[in-house]
Amino acid sequence: MRRLLLAVMFGAMALPVAAEQLLTQVSSEEVAITSSFAGQTLTLFGTIAPEAGAEQKYVEGPYHVVVTVTGPLQKRLARKMSNQFGIWINTEQAVYEEFPSFYQVLSDAKLDTITNPITLAETAIPLDSPSIGKTSAPYPQSQLFRGELVKLMQRKGHYGLNEQGVNFRSDTFYFAQVALPSDAPPGPYIAHTYLFKDGEIIARKTNGFSVRKIGFERFLGLASRQQPLLYGLVCVVLAVFTGWLGGVVFRR
Amino acid sequence: MQVYLPIAELSMNLFFLVGIGGAVGFLSGLFGVGGGFLLTPLLIFSGVPSSVAVASVTGQVVAASTSGALSYYRRGQIDLHLALYLVLASILGSFVGVWIFGVLRAVGQLDLFISLGFLILLGFVGTLMMVEAVRSILKRRAGIVVREKLPNQHNWFHGLPFRVRFKKSRLYISVVPVLLLGFFIGIVGALLGIGGGFILVPALVYLLRVPGNMVIGTSLLQVVAMMAATTILHAVTSQSVDILLAFCLMVGGTVGAQFGASAGKYLRGEQLRALLALLVLAVAIRFGVSLILPPSNPFSTAVMGIGGAI
Repeated sequence: MRRLLLAVMFGAMALPVAAEQLLTQVSSEEVAITSSFAGQTLTLFGTIAPEAGAEQKYVEGPYHVVVTVTGPLQKRLARKMSNQFGIWINTEQAVYEEFPSFYQVLSDAKLDTITNPITLAETAIPLDSPSIGKTSAPYPQSQLFRGELVKLMQRKGHYGLNEQGVNFRSDTFYFAQVALPSDAPPGPYIAHTYLFKDGEIIARKTNGFSVRKIGFERFLGLASRQQPLLYGLVCVVLAVFTGWLGGVVFRR
Repeated sequence: MQVYLPIAELSMNLFFLVGIGGAVGFLSGLFGVGGGFLLTPLLIFSGVPSSVAVASVTGQVVAASTSGALSYYRRGQIDLHLALYLVLASILGSFVGVWIFGVLRAVGQLDLFISLGFLILLGFVGTLMMVEAVRSILKRRAGIVVREKLPNQHNWFHGLPFRVRFKKSRLYISVVPVLLLGFFIGIVGALLGIGGGFILVPALVYLLRVPGNMVIGTSLLQVVAMMAATTILHAVTSQSVDILLAFCLMVGGTVGAQFGASAGKYLRGEQLRALLALLVLAVAIRFGVSLILPPSNPFSTAVMGIGGAI
């Protein structure tokens, strides 16, 4: 919400001076999870064009593009172990509301060469941005646990920063590829595209796409939530039947 | 070949799943235990979320134990009367276990409790079994004829009130220890995601003095009934039973169990018990080490609640 508000504010401020607009597109708006789903690569592409109705008929760079892809939000717990009485147990924890399950940052150059740290901090682009997830934990702890959480998500492959992830094909046409792993959480995804010129954001655009199970996978997922008792009974019947069949087949 | 697991929300290799199901099924057929205490940790190491691993393995244990229980039933080696008491008490126990599971998860000490539980339980049972098995192997070597313990050698708790006659096991004992045993196994089974066969088998042999030919069949029937109830309970409360994952494990498990059962014929009883004791002790040591050694990363994370959209 805050990010959206910021976007609107910045958008309104930038309007009178901006002569450029971003036209963006995602290669597919729906990623279908089927029984053989093993991840999928999405292409986010776009072009930089003069603002509609602007006097200028061409745009001049150099431009930089940063794309972020955010997955569905989750309530996530970070825990820390410490040694008590000779054994390792969880002693500290922090809960983060609305923590993105997936977050990838792609850019065409190093982030600190694209813009200054202050602008970067305002955009909430960096992986260590304090606006990722909300927590009621007190300050130094909240920052420490968020950092460790991001590291864990990076190791899992769900978080990442790729500073060569955006490629310019011409002065104004770019594309970026983001790989969704096979364990990408289903749900709504948002891609934010930021256009930088001389270290300032001059345009931004938001695209959405969704990852959802279809067919038999969707049927099973729905059944387990809507008819849990029936689902459990079917599991047991299937298990007893498989066991019985195994016995019968191998007795002969 | 990759197969997408809709509840675990990740894809895994089909042959890997059938393979570990088969390997654990072989052991369960060999020793007459469910094999949950091996399969659950294996799945967690492979990246399956622990709640999904625990819940889905219960389904696999039902399948692996069914074929065994049926073949013992055909040979008339199940004491249905005794199993009924055990099953009813253990289903009651599993409700309590699922409740404790929820409390521990809320406090954030579930992992610790699972490790400690496995360490104490497996360590204790494994050591007892090992001592007994080694002793009888040594006696056999020395040429001493081992007299099978007669069913009428009673302990003090056999004389508690509410005595019931179990005809098939040739026992006339109090139901109090039977019900307590079932209740305890129900709690442990729901908490640790195991069938409890490796506790039940020695308990039936050494505590209740059930004759050797009735022990494994009765234990298997109890595991089938209790794990069926636990599967349904998990499906309703945590909604984390992955039917596809369970099915892949089942297919491997039932095939493996058949080979295990026929391999078991070539080993003597005390040798089998010594091998099972070794296996149980190895898992106990593995959990003990994980508690004492400093973790590679002291930080860990988990998603709270029933997450993810469909």
